[in-house]
Amino acid sequence: MKKIDSQGVDKLPLGTKIFTWICLAWALLISLVPIVWLVLSSFKVDPLARPGFMLPDSIYLKGYISTFRDLNVMRYFGNSMLISIVSVFVSIMTISMSAYVVARMEFKGKKLVNIALASTLFIPTTALTYPVYNLINRLGIYNTRSALILIYSCSGIAVSFFVIKNYYDNVPKELEEAARIDGCGYAQTWWRIILPIARPGILTAAVLALLTNWNEYYWASLVIIDRDKLTVPAVLSTFTTAFTTNYNGLFSAMVVIILPPIILYCVFNKFFIEALSGGAVKG
Amino acid sequence: MKNSTHSVQKPRTDWRKKGFIFAFLAPTMVMFCIFYLYPLVTVFFTSFCKWDYTNITRPEFFGWKEMFKNYKYIFNTYPYFWEAMRNSTAWALLGVFFQIPLSTIMALAFSRKMKGVKTIRNIYIVPCMISSAAMGMIFLQLYNPLYGVVNPIIQLFNPGFKENILLLKGSAFWALTAAYIFFTGTTTLMILGNILAVPEEVREAATLDGASGLLQDWHIIIPMIRGTLKTVSILAATSGFLLYNEVFFLTKGAAGTYSVSYIIRELAITSPRTQFGRANSVAFIQIICGLLIIVFVNLIYSVPDWLEKVKKGAEK
Repeated sequence: MKKIDSQGVDKLPLGTKIFTWICLAWALLISLVPIVWLVLSSFKVDPLARPGFMLPDSIYLKGYISTFRDLNVMRYFGNSMLISIVSVFVSIMTISMSAYVVARMEFKGKKLVNIALASTLFIPTTALTYPVYNLINRLGIYNTRSALILIYSCSGIAVSFFVIKNYYDNVPKELEEAARIDGCGYAQTWWRIILPIARPGILTAAVLALLTNWNEYYWASLVIIDRDKLTVPAVLSTFTTAFTTNYNGLFSAMVVIILPPIILYCVFNKFFIEALSGGAVKG
Repeated sequence: MKNSTHSVQKPRTDWRKKGFIFAFLAPTMVMFCIFYLYPLVTVFFTSFCKWDYTNITRPEFFGWKEMFKNYKYIFNTYPYFWEAMRNSTAWALLGVFFQIPLSTIMALAFSRKMKGVKTIRNIYIVPCMISSAAMGMIFLQLYNPLYGVVNPIIQLFNPGFKENILLLKGSAFWALTAAYIFFTGTTTLMILGNILAVPEEVREAATLDGASGLLQDWHIIIPMIRGTLKTVSILAATSGFLLYNEVFFLTKGAAGTYSVSYIIRELAITSPRTQFGRANSVAFIQIICGLLIIVFVNLIYSVPDWLEKVKKGAEK
């Protein structure tokens, strides 16, 4: 018997089809217009002379050259990379440990731990602005990259915790029991048996955290002052003053800044999409 | 046999197990205390204190009689509080009533098996990979009256228009909103993940019953993904309420666009006459509002159940 493909295009009513086309057209329009315009403008000698969507009369690359030569963008990429990778490593490591204990073991105060970690999902971090700022100052790490690493490692506990714990919940218990009978200690069982199995869940949490940290602006602009320690999003806010009239330079620098995450996404989009949709959507 | 060895070993195992639990839990709990618990307690207590640039190291309690002094100042004297509240609430509501329906519609469109859907879906995620700071900067340029694209469009209808729409009261709010509200890629993906998880049999049954296309989506799919919709609604409302980056990059609070996060930072850090106590009372209000948002969204999503009950009651 032929299987009915209920979402197949031939079976869809005309109204639905038209509606879908409108949606797809909108999706293309809204996601491409700003970026295409930005790239287009970055090739113009003088964006003021050819505003809007006018094509550039010649392709002018001086802005790009000076972005790499004078602006030191690689330095900001380096800072962002260092800060986000270290903090993701720290937070994902500690959370995979605690999530395992909460998922698999009974102990006093488990409920309290659960409530505490769940509550972090709803505490607006901007409300904690001054206490955290104050703490960073008192620890003597104001205006250092360690301050941001500390903040990023501690914030976003909740999301990683639930993504990872969810994954542990699906790992069959028999595996651990077998390992324990074979003489593995608790830590060994976790490290050698559970961690490799839960890797997809942990990777999902890590990708989400990396993306958040890479793009984070609020704290990055709060705890770091020195220009050479800034992360990529924080350096953006200095652009309006740095390029007062050099619009070509401004646009080129912005293109360079948004490019790495886009390239990363193009290369790994399968992975990103699976991670964000909880594994249900295939890239 | 197995039982007896177990009981002999028990004291030792128990001790080891406790040690293991403690060791594995401790780092996360330390992080929680540093970043959440300690600041939370500080925010609450110092919101009842005189604490500003004159006594940076020593917050002073107002005394029981005067303990709400900061709150009174914020409510009655501080010029931007109600404006910020109104804007942040509007952004939270737009999250629930605009962004989530939009994301759902997009997710439904992406769930159709049509040519090119996958590619367009992948493109739709791209703006979400760019930081909101960069997106804010791009829109700042798009709105620029000299070389942007928005003013030429307005000039088609109003030839003499030369203003910057980010500096006009009213239009500034909507221009700022438009800079982030349409980029729902991540939310759309989460919803799409849920839609595709609906078993094929359910769809087939609905198709045989004559419900296909949008009709099927409305009656069959949407009710099945209600749980996810509720979660993403809470996330959208919260992030709308906490909006900061867009305000900073596009208007810096000009033309009536302050947000609650923006005034907290302004009071605590940016302004030269820093007022930590007052900033923390706004922060405390923000935390309470965050809780109210959860309650509110839960209420909205219980309306269908409630209607069902009323309907059944009426039939009886």
